[in-house]
Amino acid sequence: MTGSDPAPYRQAMLDEWYPVGLVSQLDRAGRHTALMGEPIVVAGDADGRPIVTGGNGRILPVKVRYGHVWSSVGAPTKDIFPIPEADQPGRRFVDVGVVRVRCSPLRAVENFLDIAHFPFVHTDVLGAEPHTEVLNYTAEIRPDVDEVWATQVKFYQPQASKSASGGITTEYMYRVPAPTCSVLYKTCPPRPSEWDVITLFVQPLAEDRCDVWPWMALFDDETSMTDLIHFQQMIFLQDRSILENQIPRLLPLDPGMEIPTRADLTSIAYRRWLKRHNFTYGAQLVAR
Amino acid sequence: MRSDTTGFWTPVALSADIPSRTVIPAHVSAGTIALWRSQAGQIAASADRCPHRGMSLSHGFVRGEALSCIYHGWSYGMSGHCVRIPAHPGLTPPETIRVATHAVRDAGGVVWVAEGTPASDPPSLDGLTPLRSLTIEADRAAIEAAAGVPANADGLIEITRDGEDLCLLLSGSQQSQTGVRTVVHVLVATGSHAPQRIAASRNVERLRRMAETASANGNVQ
Repeated sequence: MTGSDPAPYRQAMLDEWYPVGLVSQLDRAGRHTALMGEPIVVAGDADGRPIVTGGNGRILPVKVRYGHVWSSVGAPTKDIFPIPEADQPGRRFVDVGVVRVRCSPLRAVENFLDIAHFPFVHTDVLGAEPHTEVLNYTAEIRPDVDEVWATQVKFYQPQASKSASGGITTEYMYRVPAPTCSVLYKTCPPRPSEWDVITLFVQPLAEDRCDVWPWMALFDDETSMTDLIHFQQMIFLQDRSILENQIPRLLPLDPGMEIPTRADLTSIAYRRWLKRHNFTYGAQLVAR
Repeated sequence: MRSDTTGFWTPVALSADIPSRTVIPAHVSAGTIALWRSQAGQIAASADRCPHRGMSLSHGFVRGEALSCIYHGWSYGMSGHCVRIPAHPGLTPPETIRVATHAVRDAGGVVWVAEGTPASDPPSLDGLTPLRSLTIEADRAAIEAAAGVPANADGLIEITRDGEDLCLLLSGSQQSQTGVRTVVHVLVATGSHAPQRIAASRNVERLRRMAETASANGNVQ
């Protein structure tokens, strides 16, 4: 979209912050990537500070947060959303890395918000038949923070995490604080009073292509970093086999295009929230 | 591919290539469909898209007499009606949740899918036995040019020349990401022995290369 006026409906998402790389992997040569159709380079200067350069050599806004470098092709007016748990002592922070997916960045987030697929896509790990029922839960757009929240989500999981030794009913809370980012709060087996935090930060490369950067803040002193990363990479690769075969590739916001049920309340709230804010980069507005 | 005013049958696959409890993608002029065979052996064809979240149904699985979506396990019967939504085990899915289906016949070792409403049965393949299918990256005209004879009204090409006996059943051509492609089924005389079957397989391979080379060089309109 360099050099041309973007369609007005896209403006809303242009001014958001997006993950564009890992702080731990910054180097002088830089990562050649893209952000919403514009080629960008994410490099570190001599002092290791990130520099993000846009297609015509312009310097883009940059921030460092949650292990990642964040940037924008527009002019962000807000800060990056807060994750208070990122400052909590005792947590381990896991840079999972990147998974390239040929799908809309919005489809990637919606899949992250979905639990009903666990028995079929993450079989014997995050779900297993016959435990397929999605019990009633609450999903809402919270007006005070203007975020999508789903709470009281419960699901039986054979192996909820790398540290889980057997099947448990896991409780989840989901948050969507930005159009391509979601934060999941999940039962923490070693510390029942706390929540493990697993995030999905999605870099929109184009409307139908994205880089997914999962990140975690866990209470787990035992599992090796390699095992933690492998576990999440396995989960997201299973998701990719779905995301690259959904039709259409863009997220349909036309209500006639797909059929939700009560289990999809979070997805319904997410789509409504996207529409309300004109967050439609990666969305299909009218059935084709 | 017999063409009349009401419709025709497209030979999309060989019966032997879809055992019970499997689903595969198949191609008709309207696009990709999900072709599946139930546990009891019944063949069925539906739209290749689950209406819930758009997942391709040809990536799904078959259990009993239903095709299930791999994403959330929504299951569809032969008639296309949704029979099960695993997230809501107690719910009888409303009649309105369904996938479009296509009439399909399993005849002569070939699976035929109706395009439109064919007035007659699929063509008879008496005396012929299907050997294998292959996809040729070329259109029908290029394949006919390589064969040296046009297909008849049923889509059959019969080649008999020195050392080359070949019978091909052509499906419709489809646009793919890499160009045009055509699914071709190789048939041999019923009762053929291994040497004839091997020869047919080699001959069709030669024909495929000729058609694809001509097509890539733009020698065929």
